Amino acid sequence: MYSCGIDIGSVSTEAVILKDSDIDEKNFEICSYIIGRTGSDIKTASENIFNDALSMAKIKKEDIRNIIATGYGRKNVSLADRNITEITCHASGVLSVFPEVKTIIDIGGQDSKVIKIDRLTKKPIDFLMNDKCAAGTGRFLEVMAKALDIELEAFGKIFADTNERIEITSTCTVFAESEIVSLIGHGVDKRKIVKGLLYSVADRIISMVSRLGIEEPVALTGGVAKNSGIVGAIEEKLDTRLLIPFEPQITGALGAAALALKIAKSE
Amino acid sequence: MGIGSFKQNIINKIQNNLDIGSIRKILKFISNPLVFYIYGLTFKSVSDKYLNKYSLTYMREVYCGNYPIAYGSLFIPYELLNSLNIRLVLPEVMGGFTAGLGVTGKTLADAANNWYSSDLCTFHRSASGAANMDLFPKPDFIICSNLACDAACKSFEDMAKKFKIEDRFYLIDIPYENDNAAIRYLSGQLENIFFDISEKLKIKPDTDNLKKAVSSSNKLRKHLLEVNKTRERLLDYPQYYNGLSYILPLFGLAGTEKAARLYGIMEKELKIKLKNQLPSRKMKKLLWMHLKPYYRNDIFNILEENNCRVVCEEITDVFWKEMDVQKPFDSLADKMLSNPLRGNGQNRINAILSMAEKYEIDAAILFSHWGCRQSNGLARILKDSLADKKIPLLILDGDCVDKNNCPSGQLKTRIEGFAEIINSL
Repeated sequence: MYSCGIDIGSVSTEAVILKDSDIDEKNFEICSYIIGRTGSDIKTASENIFNDALSMAKIKKEDIRNIIATGYGRKNVSLADRNITEITCHASGVLSVFPEVKTIIDIGGQDSKVIKIDRLTKKPIDFLMNDKCAAGTGRFLEVMAKALDIELEAFGKIFADTNERIEITSTCTVFAESEIVSLIGHGVDKRKIVKGLLYSVADRIISMVSRLGIEEPVALTGGVAKNSGIVGAIEEKLDTRLLIPFEPQITGALGAAALALKIAKSE
Repeated sequence: MGIGSFKQNIINKIQNNLDIGSIRKILKFISNPLVFYIYGLTFKSVSDKYLNKYSLTYMREVYCGNYPIAYGSLFIPYELLNSLNIRLVLPEVMGGFTAGLGVTGKTLADAANNWYSSDLCTFHRSASGAANMDLFPKPDFIICSNLACDAACKSFEDMAKKFKIEDRFYLIDIPYENDNAAIRYLSGQLENIFFDISEKLKIKPDTDNLKKAVSSSNKLRKHLLEVNKTRERLLDYPQYYNGLSYILPLFGLAGTEKAARLYGIMEKELKIKLKNQLPSRKMKKLLWMHLKPYYRNDIFNILEENNCRVVCEEITDVFWKEMDVQKPFDSLADKMLSNPLRGNGQNRINAILSMAEKYEIDAAILFSHWGCRQSNGLARILKDSLADKKIPLLILDGDCVDKNNCPSGQLKTRIEGFAEIINSL
C-alpha cells in the first residue's frame, strides 16, 4: 500500500511517497521524495511534483491509496483526498523520525513555527506561528546574503570560524538590510555581520520557543535547518543539541504521507 | 455587465463618496419595506432578522436628527440614557458599521493623519476617524468609563475637543474594589450624570422611566440566562445565534423593551430547536474571549467545519445579579462593579474558569484584538490557568475592525491546527 504527502509552502513544494512495511517500527519505507518550487500556480506545482514523485517511485497514480496535502496551499491541491494543517503534519513527520522529540522548530521560506509535543500522548498540544513578518525566516537570510554578497551556504563556516559579532538591532527585514549596507559602508568585517545576523534570527526563534516553554529533545526542520550557521546559533542560545532529520525540508510532506498511510490502513 | 460587477460598482461608488448624507440614503433605502423584506429572506433565523430590523431602525433614529446623540464606551449602564430617550453611538458599533461599509481603510487613515498611533485599538481609531470625517451625527455629549478599556477615555476626550463639548464629556471612574463604599461612590456618579445630562439636554429627569428601564433590563437578563443555558445544550452549532453579533442590543439597548423582546425571541427560538433536536455528531465545546471580527469572515464556519462550536462568550455571560428596580442607581453601579473586567486580573480569570466549569468546555479561544492591552496583557496567565484545568487555549492574533491586519489564510491555519489538536485529545 502506498500513500503520498504533498506540502505546498510559500516558496517550495515537496512530495513524499511511502509504502507500508513491517521492517521497522515506523511501519513504512520512503519510496521517493522530491523538492520543487511552488511558483504562482499551486495546482500545476502540485500535479508536477506528484507525477515526478510517482516516476521516481516507479509506481502509477492508481497505486496510491491516500493523498494528503498540507502547507499554506493545501486547500488548492485538487488531487489530494484530504488536507491537514502543517502543524499536525510536521509533528507527524518529526515523530516518525525522532519519536522522543518534545519541541519542534520549523523554519521555512516565509514563516516559522514552534510545536510542542505532549510527553505522554506524543501528539501536538500547542503551537505558535510567525507568518506576519519575514524576520526569523529563510527569506530574511536570503535577503541579507544578497546584501552582503556572500553565498548563503557559506554562513555555516563563517559562524564556526568567527568569534566576534556585530549586533543587528533591526528586526524588520527592510531596515536590517539598510543597517547591513550601512555597516558595510563603515568597513565592518562582513563575517562579524553574518554572525550577528544568525544570532538575530535565533533570537526571534527562541522568543517563540520560550513562549511555549522549551522541553528537550528539540528538533529543527524546514529548509533553513540545512544551514549549519543557524543551527549553531540556535543550539548555542538554547544550550542543547538539535535533532535534524536527514532531509529537513520534506518533514511536512513526510508527515502528511505518514498520516495518509495510517488513515488508509484504518479504513 | 454582470450582477457581480454591477454590485461592485455600487459599492465602489458608496465607498468613494461616503458622507453622512449618503449613509442616511443607504439606511433609508434598506429600510424600505420591500427591500427589507427581500433582505430579510437572507437571514437564517427570526432572531437574526429582528436583530437586523431593530439595529436598522436604531441607526435610522441615530441619523434622523430627532434624538439627542451620545457617543459612549461599551460598559456603561445604558439603562440611564435609554430612559432619557437618547440615541447612542458605540465605538464598537461604529467600527463594525465602517467595517461593514468597507471604509475602515479610510477611517484608519484619517485617524493616522491626526496622530493616532497605529498600535491603538482599531475600534477607537476607526471611530475617531469616522467622527473626524463626520460620518456620524455630532454628539450632544460623550460618556465613557475606565472600566476595562483605556483607549476609550483618551480617544473620547479627543473627540469632545473636536466637537467642542468638553463640558459634556463624562468619565465614570470605576473603583478597583467592589464593596459598599465602591457602590456608593459609583452610584453617586451615575446619579449626578443622569441629572446633569437631563439638565444640559433639557430633558425632564424621570426616575420612573429609569425604573422601567431597569425592569426591562432585568427581563433581558432573565432571557439571556435561558439563552445561554439553552445554547450550551444544543448539539449543533446554532449558526443563527452568535452572541457577539448582539453587542448593540446587549449593551447599547439595555433598558429598552425592544432589547428584552429580542432576547425573548431568541430564547423561544433556541428552545424550539433544542426540543426538536435530533442526536447528531458531538462537537467540541469552545469558550470565546473578547470580541470577534466585524467584517465578513469565515471564523465560525471554519470552526464548525472542524467539529467545534462556540457555546459561550465571555462578554455575553450574565455576570450581574437581578437589579432592584427601586434603587436604580445603586443597582446599575453594582452591575458595573460586577463586571469581571474590573480591577484585578484574577477577577477575569475566576470568571473564565467558572464559565469553563459551568459550560463544560473542551477548549477556549482568546481573540487577541490588535491594541487591546486590557485583554491581551492577561493572555499568559489565562493560558496557564486554563492549562491547569487541562483546557487548551488558542490565542488568536487578529483585528476586529481592520481586515488587512487579520489575513484569512493565516487565521484559517491557526484555527484548523488548533481544531486538529483538540479533536485528537
